[in-house]
Amino acid sequence: MFEFARWLGSTKLSIAIQSTLWLTPLLQAIHIVMIGIVFVSVLMIVLRIHGRVRADEPFDQVWRRFAPWLWSALVVMALTGAVLIVSEPMREAKALSFWLKMLLIAAAILSVVGLRRATAGVAGPAVPAHTRHAAKLVLLVWILIIFLGRAIAYDAEVWGHLSLGRYA
Amino acid sequence: MSAPALIQGIYDSGVAQWMRDSLKAMPFIESLHVLAIATVFGTILIVDLRLLGLAGMRRPFSVLSREMLPKTWTAFVAAVITGALMFAPNAITYYGNTAFRLKMLALVLAGLNMAVFHLLTARSLNWGDNAHPPAPGRVAAVLSIALWLAIIFLGRWIGFTKGYDFSVPEDVQFDFAQ
Repeated sequence: MFEFARWLGSTKLSIAIQSTLWLTPLLQAIHIVMIGIVFVSVLMIVLRIHGRVRADEPFDQVWRRFAPWLWSALVVMALTGAVLIVSEPMREAKALSFWLKMLLIAAAILSVVGLRRATAGVAGPAVPAHTRHAAKLVLLVWILIIFLGRAIAYDAEVWGHLSLGRYA
Repeated sequence: MSAPALIQGIYDSGVAQWMRDSLKAMPFIESLHVLAIATVFGTILIVDLRLLGLAGMRRPFSVLSREMLPKTWTAFVAAVITGALMFAPNAITYYGNTAFRLKMLALVLAGLNMAVFHLLTARSLNWGDNAHPPAPGRVAAVLSIALWLAIIFLGRWIGFTKGYDFSVPEDVQFDFAQ
């Protein structure tokens, strides 16, 4: 893995991105904007499950309002994230936070699909208790993803000897 | 108290010292800052898109706005607190940093835009609640989106200004850092 990261970091594409000074902050800014859209879309869906917003609207309508934004922003987030990985592959490869983040993203996407299944056809404000608890958990997973994303830059400080840096 | 003395006072404060000494505080505070600004931006975008007539048209503007504003404000307060905790340990450098100053300017403009809209435009307009939003509302929405995008970009840009990113050698001259 570190071999691959080292090779990727030495490619012309990676060096071109690294040496364009304004590109990384711009990509990170777009990445954060997309986090805003994804996180608040999930937040609105979770709050609707708890009857805290749009309780007067059928759940399917709330889903139709936010799901296209959630999925589109997720795609842009993945694209900007991919370019950021190409620009500094070693930084990610040796960060435990990065690998945990990738695992949690997979779990988070599946859990949103799960929430959708659990709430299909729900029209009134009431959603079963186990779905409400699951919704809280889904929100927590997205918050952890944001933490892990920022922690990539501080992997050694956050994880101490668990950080993968010493294997590189 | 003069501005430089105030900045020096913030830099010398116990909280600033604690932030400088603690290895783990900064990543956690920064994560909370990202979470807060993501929530501020996302909730404001919902309101702005409604003002532009692009999304959420089934809900009356007043209902939607009332629903979102408390969330925006809560997240904004969290962003200010975490932002202050990030500012204090490097107060002197931040104070002289152009990207930081531009970000503060953009924040003030975003606040003014919001105040003008809520205190003047929204009150004086007689828009049947489901009607297509009138021009002043659309202008406020475009300004709001543009300013918040600028705030997020400038916030990230600060980290790439000389002396902040440890991977950037101190002797590199950036033309935008001036």
